[in-house]
Amino acid sequence: MELKNESGRLCPEGELTIYSAAECKDALLAALEESDGLEIDLGSVTEIDTAGVQLLILLKSEAKRAGKTLTLSRHSAAVIDLTELFNLAGWFGDPLVIPAER
Amino acid sequence: MSTMSEALQTFLAESRGLLEAMEEGLLKLEEIPDDSEAINSVFRAAHTIKGSAGLFGFDEIVAFTHEAESVLDKVRDGELALSEAMIGLFLSCRDHLSHLLDLLASDSDADDETRQRGDALVAQLSACLGGAGSRSMPVEQEAVFHREGGDGAQGDAWHVSVRFGRDVMKNGLDPASFIRYLGTLGQLSHVETVFDAMPPAHEMDPEECYLGFEIRFHGEVDKTEIESVFEFVREDCELRILPPGSKLSEYLQLIHELPEEDLLLGDLLVRSGAITRRELEEGLAVQGQESTSDEAAPPLGEILVERQAVQTELVDAALAKQKDVRQRQSQEARFIRVHADKLDSMINLVGELVIASAGVGLIAGRNKDAAMMEAVSEMARLVEDIRDGAMRLRMVEIGETFNRFRRVVRDVSKELGKDIELIISGADTELDKSVVERIGDPLTHLVRNAMDHGIESAETRIARGKPARGSLRLNAYHESGSVVIEVGDDGGGLSRERIVAKAQEKGLIEDAQGLSDAEVWNLIFEPGFSTSDAVSNLSGRGVGMDVVKRNIEALRGTVEIESRAGSGSTFRIRLPLTLAIIDGFLMAVGEGHYVVPLDMVLECVELGEGRSSDEPDYINLRGEVLPLLRLREHFGLEGPVVRRHNVVVVQWGGRKAGLVVDELEGELQAVIKPLGRIFAGLRGLSGSTILGSGEVALVLDVAQLLEHARLREAEAVSAVSVGRTSERTANAMTG
Amino acid sequence: MAKTIMIVDDSATLRQVVGIALKGAGYEVVEACDGKDALGKLDGRKIHLIVCDVNMPNMDGITFVKEMKAMAGYKFTPVIMLTTEAGEAKKQEGQMAGARAWVVKPFQPPQMLNAVSKLILP
Repeated sequence: MELKNESGRLCPEGELTIYSAAECKDALLAALEESDGLEIDLGSVTEIDTAGVQLLILLKSEAKRAGKTLTLSRHSAAVIDLTELFNLAGWFGDPLVIPAER
Repeated sequence: MSTMSEALQTFLAESRGLLEAMEEGLLKLEEIPDDSEAINSVFRAAHTIKGSAGLFGFDEIVAFTHEAESVLDKVRDGELALSEAMIGLFLSCRDHLSHLLDLLASDSDADDETRQRGDALVAQLSACLGGAGSRSMPVEQEAVFHREGGDGAQGDAWHVSVRFGRDVMKNGLDPASFIRYLGTLGQLSHVETVFDAMPPAHEMDPEECYLGFEIRFHGEVDKTEIESVFEFVREDCELRILPPGSKLSEYLQLIHELPEEDLLLGDLLVRSGAITRRELEEGLAVQGQESTSDEAAPPLGEILVERQAVQTELVDAALAKQKDVRQRQSQEARFIRVHADKLDSMINLVGELVIASAGVGLIAGRNKDAAMMEAVSEMARLVEDIRDGAMRLRMVEIGETFNRFRRVVRDVSKELGKDIELIISGADTELDKSVVERIGDPLTHLVRNAMDHGIESAETRIARGKPARGSLRLNAYHESGSVVIEVGDDGGGLSRERIVAKAQEKGLIEDAQGLSDAEVWNLIFEPGFSTSDAVSNLSGRGVGMDVVKRNIEALRGTVEIESRAGSGSTFRIRLPLTLAIIDGFLMAVGEGHYVVPLDMVLECVELGEGRSSDEPDYINLRGEVLPLLRLREHFGLEGPVVRRHNVVVVQWGGRKAGLVVDELEGELQAVIKPLGRIFAGLRGLSGSTILGSGEVALVLDVAQLLEHARLREAEAVSAVSVGRTSERTANAMTG
Repeated sequence: MAKTIMIVDDSATLRQVVGIALKGAGYEVVEACDGKDALGKLDGRKIHLIVCDVNMPNMDGITFVKEMKAMAGYKFTPVIMLTTEAGEAKKQEGQMAGARAWVVKPFQPPQMLNAVSKLILP
């Protein structure tokens, strides 16, 4: 996967799965540490699995612990699916925009 | 995109190729029997065909190749040597498979010949395996879930708690997909993701799994089905499945209803569905570990509850059930199962022993040796005890037979739409096993008859001021050497008018004048008689009451009816206690000896001197009219006529009569032997017995003799006065 | 986006029937006739799940799984091994190699679909 960094806004592209989890973790954590508020744009995540969701949980917890804001935005269909399956939307607290066609 | 019909073509082509390889391999093996490559290719051919046929559900081919594969597997492993005959057999199997494929290709079914050939080959294949048998076909592991009632969220929810192991994701297992799959079996009503185990960010390995889930799940599934969702991850997770409250009562009921067997606590819980086999195994493993320490391991129930595999109340219920079963078993343990034949041959021998002992007694008496006679009488007493004991071995309680009717009564009441309760009494009454075995059918018929014709519909009952619920009684008791079984109902009783009308219609009688009630009741035992206006599907089966009567008579029994209009009827069956040995009373007439069962004998009186045969055939016995039956005349006997006669007063089924004989010879034990065909026409005899002296004595059939006496009396009296007959006979009937 | 499943089996019939079933359920299918063929097809393309027979010529299933688990791009890919009822020893071996899911032959397509949907998200 690729990680596009646009001033406080990260946009992982492709799959957020166990294959990319290690790489993502380092990059995303580093980005969080460097900033006071971070937005992760999930709009280009084509595929996500438990490892991916777990990583988002880690980041969100870490941000809360450090008193920073971490916003998850533009959830892709795959991300919404799994967030709903795990019933985590409330805990994440970010608005989910459910595409009209779903 | 290819279709299934194309896939079928692939299957046929591939299988034909494999069969060719198989043939080639087999021919090679004929030359080099241990060519492992050839063996492998033959095996692989069978194996692949089996697997592919399975995909299409061609069960016949799967089953057949399975047998061949089992044998080939043993050959491959070197457990079986490949003989020339076996190569021949496999070639035939190959040809058979080829034929089955042709049938598939032409879309036709196997004919009988093909099936027979297949069966024969399978038989030969299993013969190769010897006692070992083929490997059993795999149990379908991936059972196709069938649920009743859909996925609705009705009822309360299962609770599934799962904690995934650290390595699951590394092993290619994604927790999310299992949970989603669970969702396809019903409805995930609430999922809570638990990530308390997640370490601080820098320690967290993103390839490891730190998640757990608490899931509320609605679905018509059982515990094993839920467990099977997690089958691939089972060793990499902690799984707890708690059933919904409604299931709980279901389990409790199942635990109570499980047939009584010696089940271990765990098995009991598994059978009821409360826990799964795996939960049990894990619980046992924990128990095993804990017992290695000095302290005794905690009970399995406690472990299972602690592991949240099962609720305490289920364990308690299972334990209670277990205790119950054990108690029953400790009673059952005092029983030995013996083959009935062994018992019969022993009883036969005891019979011979009784005769032999009587012989010894006779000789001792002749020799007038006092000490000898004393020893003989002591022995005779013991023989008698042995006889009684032996007979008791064959005795069983009738209760079990009665209990079978609970079901019959329940089912038939439902069928008839009547509410009928069954009241059983005298269940501990014992009678001969052979009698019990043969009384079931007649009883069933009487019970059905009583429910169908006897007991009225609820409306009629209420109108008649009776409780809406009808009752049927089954009762048994001992009475003067016989067993009485009663089938009674509290219905409307028999209707004299209707029976008479029916009997006239069927041409059984001309008119009912002079017939007692008992005689009218007995008409229903005539062939082809049915009292119900509407022949129902229960009693109108073409099996009439006449068959009931015949069955009972075949057991040397009788049946009588007591009926009171409006309050019900009772069918009373009398049966001999046993069919083999009786305590008898020996009498002599002319030169012959006769035996009557002792318990039918009431008393013996002397008949006044000089009463000749042409005098009236009854005497006044203490104010009671007692019909007489002169055996001499009855059997047409000759021989010296004695001047003084004796009367043996006998009773059977509420009737009495006096048998007029020459001499009274006293009590004896008689082993009853059936009569030969020659005597079949003789009324009043039921068997013969051999006396200690070696002479033969005939056993009288008292029931028949009494019937004969009654008929003759009725004839005689009716000649005098028609008007008094029915009253008289009725008296004789009720005794 | 449809997920891709690779079927590795020497029986063309099996590949075809399972392929039809999986395609019918919306998956992409890649076929390989033995372990060697399959390794060759692990050329960087995304494979979400592998269905793999044990007993195959050229390279058997166990060896294939071991090799595959050593490849960075496929090491976390789930594998369903096809086994026979008598293959308990093979099962152990497969477990060691990293295979966790098993379907017993002979099976029918719905059983395979059940197993697949336990392992990967649609």
